[in-house]
Amino acid sequence: MSAQSAAAGGGGGGDWTGSEPADDVLVEEEQSNSLPSLVTPSLTSGMSFSMDMPRKRKGSTDNQDSKLALINDADMEDDQNRSDGEDQHVKIKCFREPHSQIEKRRRDKMNNLIDKLSAMIPTCNPMSRKLDKLTVLRMAVQHLKSLKGSASSFSEASYKPSFLPDEELKHLVLKAADGFLFVVGCDRGKIVFVSESVTKILNYSRTELIGQSLFDYIHPKDMGKVKEQLSASELHPRERLIDAKTGLQVQADLPIGASRLCSGARRSFFCRMKYNKIPVKVEEKETQANTSKKKESQKYCTVHCTGYMRSWPTSQMGAEGEGEADKQDSSYFSCLVAVGRIHSHSAPQVNGEVRVRPTEFVTRYAMDGKFTFVDQRATTILGYLPQELLGTSCYEYFHQDDLLHLADRHRKVLRSREKIETNCYKFKTKYGSFVTLQSQWFSFVNPWNKEVEYIVSTNTVISYDNSRTGRSGHKSEQSGNSKASEDCKKSLPVIPGISSASGTMIYAGSIGTQIANELLDFNKLNSSPSSGNVSPFSLAQDKSPQTLHQITNSVPNGETSDMEIPGKSSSEGEPQGASFSGGDSLMGENSQLDLDSVVGASLNSLSNDEAAMAVIMSLLETDTNLGEAVDFEEMHWSL
Amino acid sequence: AISREAARRRRRVESDVFGDLSRLLPLQASVRAHLDKPSIIRLTLSFIRMQALLRGENRQTEINWLEEMYLKILEGFLMVLSTTGDMIFLSDNVSKYMGLSQTELMGHNIFEYTHPCDHEEIRHNLRLTAGWKKCRENNKHKDFVMRIKSALTHRGRVGNLKSTTWKVLHCQGRVKLCVASSSVSCLLLTCRPLPLSHTLLSTHTFTSQHGMDMRFTYCDQRVTSLLGYRPEELLGRSIYDLCHTLDTSCLNKNHLNLCLKSQSVSGQYRMLVRSGGYVWVESHSAVIPGVQPSRSRPNPSQPLCILSVTYVLSGVEEPSLQLSLDQTFPRYPR
Repeated sequence: MSAQSAAAGGGGGGDWTGSEPADDVLVEEEQSNSLPSLVTPSLTSGMSFSMDMPRKRKGSTDNQDSKLALINDADMEDDQNRSDGEDQHVKIKCFREPHSQIEKRRRDKMNNLIDKLSAMIPTCNPMSRKLDKLTVLRMAVQHLKSLKGSASSFSEASYKPSFLPDEELKHLVLKAADGFLFVVGCDRGKIVFVSESVTKILNYSRTELIGQSLFDYIHPKDMGKVKEQLSASELHPRERLIDAKTGLQVQADLPIGASRLCSGARRSFFCRMKYNKIPVKVEEKETQANTSKKKESQKYCTVHCTGYMRSWPTSQMGAEGEGEADKQDSSYFSCLVAVGRIHSHSAPQVNGEVRVRPTEFVTRYAMDGKFTFVDQRATTILGYLPQELLGTSCYEYFHQDDLLHLADRHRKVLRSREKIETNCYKFKTKYGSFVTLQSQWFSFVNPWNKEVEYIVSTNTVISYDNSRTGRSGHKSEQSGNSKASEDCKKSLPVIPGISSASGTMIYAGSIGTQIANELLDFNKLNSSPSSGNVSPFSLAQDKSPQTLHQITNSVPNGETSDMEIPGKSSSEGEPQGASFSGGDSLMGENSQLDLDSVVGASLNSLSNDEAAMAVIMSLLETDTNLGEAVDFEEMHWSL
Repeated sequence: AISREAARRRRRVESDVFGDLSRLLPLQASVRAHLDKPSIIRLTLSFIRMQALLRGENRQTEINWLEEMYLKILEGFLMVLSTTGDMIFLSDNVSKYMGLSQTELMGHNIFEYTHPCDHEEIRHNLRLTAGWKKCRENNKHKDFVMRIKSALTHRGRVGNLKSTTWKVLHCQGRVKLCVASSSVSCLLLTCRPLPLSHTLLSTHTFTSQHGMDMRFTYCDQRVTSLLGYRPEELLGRSIYDLCHTLDTSCLNKNHLNLCLKSQSVSGQYRMLVRSGGYVWVESHSAVIPGVQPSRSRPNPSQPLCILSVTYVLSGVEEPSLQLSLDQTFPRYPR
């Protein structure tokens, strides 16, 4: 393929330094008419089926010009000697666009390139005035000559001139990959080769590692895994591949009893490798997979190994292959050639991990306020083991005085994508006393179906307050939601079938249920989000038992709301605070990362059908790599 | 007439200089013959920038028989991006993935070749500090998924240049600062497609299928020995329920990547083990049409599903700890 000029097409493939490419619209081809009409224009621009040859893309001004296709055709066929590119012998087919504009774009692009070039050439830089094109080019020639003279690694004698000598390339690849290359024998796991970069990653020197057994450096629990990856014995039924069509696993038919490993068979696995401890400060709250518990003295890091099995005659192995031949077939040496890379730093949760201090703990509620997840830190603070809290409603532990405000927050958080802060409130501990907490809640919504999955609560201890609040009567009760005064007790409803002894607990739990049901009903009715006033649970500051009595009247028979209802909830309509950010922490400044907030993706404004269609479209345009056959031809590496 | 002569002479001189320049570039003769002027400048720029970047680099001169293997093993290509997104350098195997050659692409800007919806994310990863002072941002390992244009057909041949598809690439890398000149600093990335097929799975992995809402629609038997759940128990369950709360944002991002880009690598997160505690895992997933569709007639009612391969990275941590509701079911039948 020749590098064609974008001459006729204008400033298509040139340099767009600093320009906002978001304006660029792909040229629509005829095939785009096959897109169903329900796909909105905003989607079309992002997901056009076809486009012209990349460098011929036009700026948005030219989007309407259908004749661009013709010009590009002309260019394609016009594979002439382009050294006289300035001549206008190819733009004849242009009709609508003024010729001068095409020319102008070409000139601008060329000038842009020349400017960039002059910025890169040391001799051009000090010049105060702008140099003319020819001079810059001449200086570039000089510069290249000088570079070639001094660059010792650029070998002119190589038969295949490459832009970057292999060695440089290898170096850059490993740097980018944060990885090291290694070759281990399959038989005993002897490390036959390891690249220099291993030092940076595992902190062992090459000489320390070469000749050692890989298993000496693997976490004991992963040894079995690695052994399995290295061997090809049919004793271990692990030849599972994925059928691209069905996504299910299939048995691979490897020849039984093959003494030689299937050359070129791919391997990909994770294992924990030792790394040489260096005296660095380890954070107290490191909970990543790459650091073991503090009790163990050996540190491990998780390494992702990808590579191929390779088998070649030992005669060619020289010293490295000595003694490493297969048991079965001594003339072949089987090994795994792989790159190991660490990418635990790239785990998003590292970036976004909630910095939870010891006086904080995290919990998860179902929509109705029942605990579904309790962080182990809660135990030291609240006294309950997680299993004691799980399944119970949070309202059972809230102090009576805080019920209303927390219920209000609860309703708010279900309707908003934003972080909701509670005021300080008291939470009953196992021992009857209260701790003062303050929490941040937000509803985590499934990005696909917009349903609330759960409410995440980050709870901070404000004070460990052991004093009783003065309201008598609740010391002996198990439930947290106690009513001190007698008349409150009177106002408890008689729920059919439930004895009054446990009435208070049911009552507490029902608050949450009621709130959750409210939301579901509202969703079904599709009413506007602002109408919270319709519910009996009005926003009054009225703490009178009267209000609470109202609630209990409309409580259903104590059944939990069913979260699994596939609601076609309308858009919540809340303003989305989140723009795409790499540091999307769980409780960051912005609300949950959301389909709405990603640039260009407006799936939320479409109906579910349209959204599904959009995904299908993008999928059809995307090469998902599932159909790629492994090209075994490529594996023939000569020694 | 005189001015036309002068112009012609000027053009000839200019062409000669362009010719000189192109001969100094490390290119094969056949490639060189077809270069146009803007391309020559582009490639010259790339050459100069790469030299500047590598100058002063302390490297070992190990001539090794394994050297060519690096990119093959990684199954990807190398991309060097400037702060403004120019693809200063691409390894020559880029043609295998994009269908366009190294010389055609080098020097162009990445934003012209990637999906508009991914530009924001690319820009975010390109944020390099001016000046050579290392900062936290620069030391971070970059890891993201983007869609790039590919002129290859599904069978891997270079197709009609007018119809391209999006190829999903997993990009990982880091910033390389140039001590001499900060404008030469750039982002080094290895870009690889995310293959799910033909991967030999080990006992510490399991595959699963999910609806687009990430609820399980299928899970293979391995999950029982790894996490304690029977596959039937998982059907219909949302993955969000089964993971540690602190990993919600990780899963969220993974899910979004799947919805928008059709493939994703999750990074490490914790899955809760049925009997208590959790394990660290990483999932590689892709959206696939549920049943092989007829490509000419997409249909909204076609089931899309998410296919996931989950690698278990660690042993069970805190096995006696019950964190979630799912883990409190009695272990012994009543």
